Amino acid sequence: MSLDYVKFSGGFEKFMPKEYRDMVEHGPFGKKISVSQMGSFKEILEEHPMCAGCAMTLFIRLAIIAFPNPEDTITVGTAGCGRLAISQAAIPFVYGNYGDQNGVASGLSRGLRLRFGDKPKDVVVMAGDGGTADIGFQQVLHSWFRKERFTTIMLDNEVYGNTGGQESGMTNRGAVLKMAPLGKKFEKMDMLQMAKVAGCAYVATVVPNNPRRVESVIKKAVLIAREVGSTYIQAYTSCNIEYAIPTDKVMEDAKTVENDRYQFTEYVSDEAKQYLTERYGYKDYLPKAAAPAAAIPNKA
Amino acid sequence: MYLVANINVEICASKSCKLCTQYCPEANTIQYSETMGTDKGYKYGTAYIAVDRCKGCALCVWVCDTMAKNNAIKMTMIDQLPLAAVTDNIRYEEKTTVAVLSDPMIVIGN
Repeated sequence: MSLDYVKFSGGFEKFMPKEYRDMVEHGPFGKKISVSQMGSFKEILEEHPMCAGCAMTLFIRLAIIAFPNPEDTITVGTAGCGRLAISQAAIPFVYGNYGDQNGVASGLSRGLRLRFGDKPKDVVVMAGDGGTADIGFQQVLHSWFRKERFTTIMLDNEVYGNTGGQESGMTNRGAVLKMAPLGKKFEKMDMLQMAKVAGCAYVATVVPNNPRRVESVIKKAVLIAREVGSTYIQAYTSCNIEYAIPTDKVMEDAKTVENDRYQFTEYVSDEAKQYLTERYGYKDYLPKAAAPAAAIPNKA
Repeated sequence: MYLVANINVEICASKSCKLCTQYCPEANTIQYSETMGTDKGYKYGTAYIAVDRCKGCALCVWVCDTMAKNNAIKMTMIDQLPLAAVTDNIRYEEKTTVAVLSDPMIVIGN
């Protein structure tokens, strides 16, 4: 949990694989990096077994780049596709039982605060729609009601992609899937509204066809979770296998879905706005200069 | 054999969009070199593919054709690439990377 854990032990440098040496010498640890520098530094996400052209992989790649302090971050996940990639990054990853990721993260976040005091250690939960909205629903909601200070990211592919295409709570009504041949009979769960009701300090939806926005949203969510309260990001990360999207059309689909039902939305509580402005210099939430008073039409 | 992405340096180095580096789902796969384009007399640097990491999804082709309107990336059979970058031959420098291009079939087959 510091820059030391990625350094070489004395005398071992020459035995380490090239990828590891590149990461230590040219990785993002201890530096300020952004998506505009992608391709020119060694990323801490390594090779993984996720499908070719997967939008979830792209989102995870962007998310890991967006972490404000990757050397002081722990990710927590659960069963699902996402963990195949998240676990292949050079940041500690905790793999809970199915659905208990927010319970694990609650304890972890509290423990880190006891151990390290004010020094920020970020806990980020990244789990699928099944892990967050179905099987882990109870623990997710309770962690929000308790205002646990960590970030929850839902990788919403709208299906159980890892087990053959069963409908999840986040599947759209009417969607026909391999294991839901008659079409889903219920509406997609409104997790955004539930997050707001449960008192999350920051709630946002995002689609990975805008890397800069993904970066900005994740940075804000992680920073707010350090002191203010729970934060929630819901990301549309299509499953090109279960929804039969050709891999080269994945971003076209993301764009269509963004325009249709996944528009960018962002809710920031007043306390979080004040915190971002005062602590991290965000200018977006400063009070706007008063507009000139509208002319009062003369009554004829 | 299988398809991997192949970037035309002449077209890529005429613009500086770098969009493909931000949209590739695989990490450390589409790399950007500030010098590999300018060394050949082109205006900007160029993106290039670490072909041993490319899974052949062609997402970058859509991004280059549709978003950047550059048409610089084509899918090519790996045994038909004369020279390409592989991870072992990529060197990281300050704010850029440089690759020594080689016959990928020989390097990957080893």
